[in-house]
Amino acid sequence: MAFGGGYFKTTYAADLALVDTRLRRVTLGLLILALLGLPRFASSFVLDLVTQTALAAVGALALNLLTGLAGQISLGHAGFIAAGAFTTAILVENRVPSPLVALPAAALVGAALGVIVGIPALRLKGLYLALGTLALHHVVLYACGEFQNHWGANTGVSIPPPRLGPWVLKGTVAWYYTLTAIAALVLILCVNLQRSRAGRAWMAIRDREIAAESVGIDVARYKVLAFVWSSALTSVAGALFAYERAFVSVEAFGFFLAIEYIAMVIIGGLGSALGAVLGAAFVTLLPYGIDAGVASLRVPGGAEYYLFPLKFGAFGLLMAAFLVFEPQGLVGIWRRVRNWVALWPLRYRPLRSAS
Amino acid sequence: MTPLLELENLEVVYHHVATAIQGVSLRVSPGSIVALLGTNGAGKTTTLRAISGFLGADDAQIVGGRVMFEGVAVTGRPPHDLARRGLVLVPERDKVFETLTVQENLRALVPGRAGRDGARPPVTLEQVFHYFPVLAGRSRQLAGYLSGGERQMLALATALLCRPRVLLVDELSFGLAPLVVETLMTLVGRLRDELGLAVLLVEQNAGAALAVADSGYVMEHGRVVFDGTVERLLAHEDVREFYLGVGQRAGRKRYTEVKQYQRRRRWF
Repeated sequence: MAFGGGYFKTTYAADLALVDTRLRRVTLGLLILALLGLPRFASSFVLDLVTQTALAAVGALALNLLTGLAGQISLGHAGFIAAGAFTTAILVENRVPSPLVALPAAALVGAALGVIVGIPALRLKGLYLALGTLALHHVVLYACGEFQNHWGANTGVSIPPPRLGPWVLKGTVAWYYTLTAIAALVLILCVNLQRSRAGRAWMAIRDREIAAESVGIDVARYKVLAFVWSSALTSVAGALFAYERAFVSVEAFGFFLAIEYIAMVIIGGLGSALGAVLGAAFVTLLPYGIDAGVASLRVPGGAEYYLFPLKFGAFGLLMAAFLVFEPQGLVGIWRRVRNWVALWPLRYRPLRSAS
Repeated sequence: MTPLLELENLEVVYHHVATAIQGVSLRVSPGSIVALLGTNGAGKTTTLRAISGFLGADDAQIVGGRVMFEGVAVTGRPPHDLARRGLVLVPERDKVFETLTVQENLRALVPGRAGRDGARPPVTLEQVFHYFPVLAGRSRQLAGYLSGGERQMLALATALLCRPRVLLVDELSFGLAPLVVETLMTLVGRLRDELGLAVLLVEQNAGAALAVADSGYVMEHGRVVFDGTVERLLAHEDVREFYLGVGQRAGRKRYTEVKQYQRRRRWF
C-alpha cells in the first residue's frame, strides 16, 4: 500500500521472504508467543474454542483455494470432509488406527475425489457447478451412510485417540497445540500456493478464463489441480475432525456444514488466506457469542426455550448483514484500517502525479 | 444559456482509497455535442460513470462536488432514475442484450409512465428506424449476431427510445473501423440537429469527435486541463500534436518524446 517510497527488495531471498519487515517479524513473534503461552492463562473452554477455530481454518483455507483463488464455487465441501473422516473411520474399523496412515490416506482419497469431481466440473460453470458439487456431497454422504449402517454401529464409529509410538494425543492442551500447529502449516502452504505459479494461474482463471488460456495457462489442468489440492486438504481436515471428536457419524456432515464453510470464506474475504482464518474464527465463535449474549439477557426461566430458535435466526441475520455491509469480508475491514494508517493524515491516495 | 448538465468540482474515489478524478467541472448546453478527450486512465469513463450513477458496481464513490441536471442536483441517484429523467448512458461494452432479437432489444426498456418524462416528446420505432435503417432490416435477428458497428447503432437506438435529454456516449469509436466511426459520428450530429439532443461524447479518437462536436474538454490525470470551443481546441498545439497527430514542431513527433512536465506546465 505504500506509495512513493518504502521498502525496496534488493535480493531474491528478500523478495521470497514471507515475513519481510521488522514490524511484521516482531508482530508474528508476539503472536506465536501468545499462542504458545495461551494454555497457561486461558481456561480449557477458551482453548477448545481456539482448537475448533484452527480445525475450521484448515477446511476454510482449503475451500479458499478452490472458491477464492480459482473461482470455482463448491457446495460439496462437507462431502470432502466426510470423505476424510470416514476414511479414518474405515481404517480404524480395520484395525489401522495410526494417524500416520490415516492422514495420508485421507489426503489420497480426497485427491482422488477431487479428480473425479474436477474433470466433469470443467464443463460446468456458476450455478451448474454449484449443483454438480452438491450432487457430489449427496453421493459421498450416501456412501458414508451405507458404510455406517453395514459395518459400524448404526449411530456412528468411535475413533480412539491417535497414538504416535508411546505418545497418545489426549487432552485439551495437547489438541490445542497439535491443531494450531497444523493450521499454521496449512496456512503457510496455502500462502505459498497462492504465491506460486499454480496460485497465479488460478487467480488468472478466476478473473478471465479466456485471457488466462491465451497466455498459455492450461485451464483444464489447473482447474482440476485446484479441485485436487482443495479436496485433499479438506479430507485431511476431515480426518483431524474425526480424531478430535473421537466419533464419526454421517449426521455431522450435513448440508449446513458446507454452507458454514462457504460462509467462512465469504465472510472472511474471498481469495485471502488471512480472510479464511478470520472467517473460520468468526463463524466458529459466533454461536458462542450469541449464546453469551442470550445468557447475559437474564430472561426468566421459560422464555429461554423460545430464545433457542432465535439463535439460528440471529446467526443467519448476522451473516446476511455482514455480506450486505461488508462485501469484502473481514479482510476488507483490515485493509481499510491498514490504508487508513498508511495514508494518515490524508484520507485518500492522491492523484497519480506525472513524476 | 443555462447548461442542461453541469458538473461542479466532482471528486471520485475508488475502493475508499484511490482518487480517480479531482475537481472536474464541465457543462453541457442544450442541443450541443461536448467531447471529453484524454488518454487512457485520464478519468473520462469515471467521470461518465459518476454522472450516470454507475459507480457503485466498481466500488467507487463521489466524495465531493455535485452533478446538476436541469437545475436539480442528481448526485448519486440510481441509474434507472437518471435514465427516466433523460440522462441516458450508452456504455462502452456489453451494451446490447445478446440473446434478444434487435426488436426485443428496442422494446426491452420499460415504457416511461407519465411523470418526469411525460413532458418530453415520445420517440417512436419508426423514428429510430429512420435514423438507423440497418436495424430495420435486421429486426428479427439476435443482437448477438450483429457486427460491432451495428451493435453500436442498436445501443444508440435503444438509448434514443429512452427519450433522452442528454446522451452520454462512452467511446463510440471503440473497436470500430474509421469509416463506421464516421457514419456513427454523422448520425450523432443528426440526432443533435434534428431532435435537439445534447450529447456528452467521451472519446479517444479526438479527430472523429471534434469533427461533430461544438466544444470539448481535455482531461489528464483526473483533471480537466484544457477546454473550449472546437476551434480553440483544434488550434491548440498540444491537442493537435497529441490527439490529432498533426503536430508542427520539428524534432518531436511522438507522444513519448515529450517530457511530461513541459506539457503539464503549459496547460495549467
